[in-house]
Amino acid sequence: MSETPPESENQSGHSFPAPTHTDELSCRPAKLDADKKTKIDVLLKSAGDAPIMKKKKWAVDPTKKIGWVIEFMRKYLKFEPEDSLFLYVNQSFSPSLDVELGTLYDCFSTDGKLVLHYCRTQAWG
Amino acid sequence: MAEDREILKEIWEGKLPVCFNLSMDELYTMDQPEPYYILAPRQTYFPLITDKVQRHFIKHIEPGIQEQSTEIWLEYEGKPLKWHYPIGVLFDMFNTDTLLPWNITVHFQNFPEEEILHCPSKSAVESHFMSTVKEADALKHKSQVINNLQKKDHRQLWTGLQNDRFDLFWGINKKLMEGSNDDTFKYVPYRIHRQDKVYLQKLVKPMKDTGQHMTLHDLLIQLDIASHDEEAKQRVLVQGITPPMETTLLWLSEHFSYPDNFLHICLVDK
Repeated sequence: MSETPPESENQSGHSFPAPTHTDELSCRPAKLDADKKTKIDVLLKSAGDAPIMKKKKWAVDPTKKIGWVIEFMRKYLKFEPEDSLFLYVNQSFSPSLDVELGTLYDCFSTDGKLVLHYCRTQAWG
Repeated sequence: MAEDREILKEIWEGKLPVCFNLSMDELYTMDQPEPYYILAPRQTYFPLITDKVQRHFIKHIEPGIQEQSTEIWLEYEGKPLKWHYPIGVLFDMFNTDTLLPWNITVHFQNFPEEEILHCPSKSAVESHFMSTVKEADALKHKSQVINNLQKKDHRQLWTGLQNDRFDLFWGINKKLMEGSNDDTFKYVPYRIHRQDKVYLQKLVKPMKDTGQHMTLHDLLIQLDIASHDEEAKQRVLVQGITPPMETTLLWLSEHFSYPDNFLHICLVDK
């Protein structure tokens, strides 16, 4: 996710979930243009009683994994550790945590966007 | 189609002899446990068959860890095994020298968080399995077939796999393997696995624009991973077999897919 989420500005202790890779974009603005091209658009839509995200469309590095997105969203939505969060593609299946966004984008994007629905409880089966 | 049934049954019955050993670093008792042998179905997942393995080794680890330990993880030659891949796929990906039995090390500690996912329970395996079936149907039939199945049909697919019941499983699975209105799959659900890389999965139709069937060779060319003049270096394995490169992708998908409805193709170095 290329933009800095609002809460990281006022909560110094809450940095981005940064698993294995470093987020090149945030520390090297010179590369911004080159990186931009390789990013994909992801649209996050709430379903059921899940809170709505103010910002829904994000540019994401295609090598980021579903687990990373979930971690990011949990922080963004200020979820407690015991709150669950489920992500769905096509409103039908829930991809495994180690699947790369780029792979899902290649197979399931519509109009140049990968739409992911999220909810608090298991939906669609 | 008796001939088809024989092939499907043959694939279903594929088994691998596996020899489990406790990690020497985690051995606590002076008496060393015997290795534990299982004839593992290729189509299933490790957490569905390793309860006995866990019980066999747990009394040989440190008592403090015995109490907390709810989950084991498996390793082959230093590489953690992903529980959410079918056993046959893991074997084809790693065991390139086909030395049998397949020697796997069992761990209770030092879970490699960065490399593999936790498997909290058997219902996690079920969720993962059903979700993969749904993904495959999204590609094949825009989810129409899976959405028309009832909850009890979903259960039957899972119970068929879990209890190794071919007829139960295929009673439902045949619907997922049928063509839709235009008489074929929209896209073929496949994944290409290569060691140390994430799997490759892109949209591929069963037919080419020319109206001809897409073959296994066409697929590898399209993805730019076919070995051109270095054919000797790479092996293509599907269900442990190297099919002829001119086999049509649709036929392979219908007959050689794993129960998760994906055609798992492993590319391994010779």
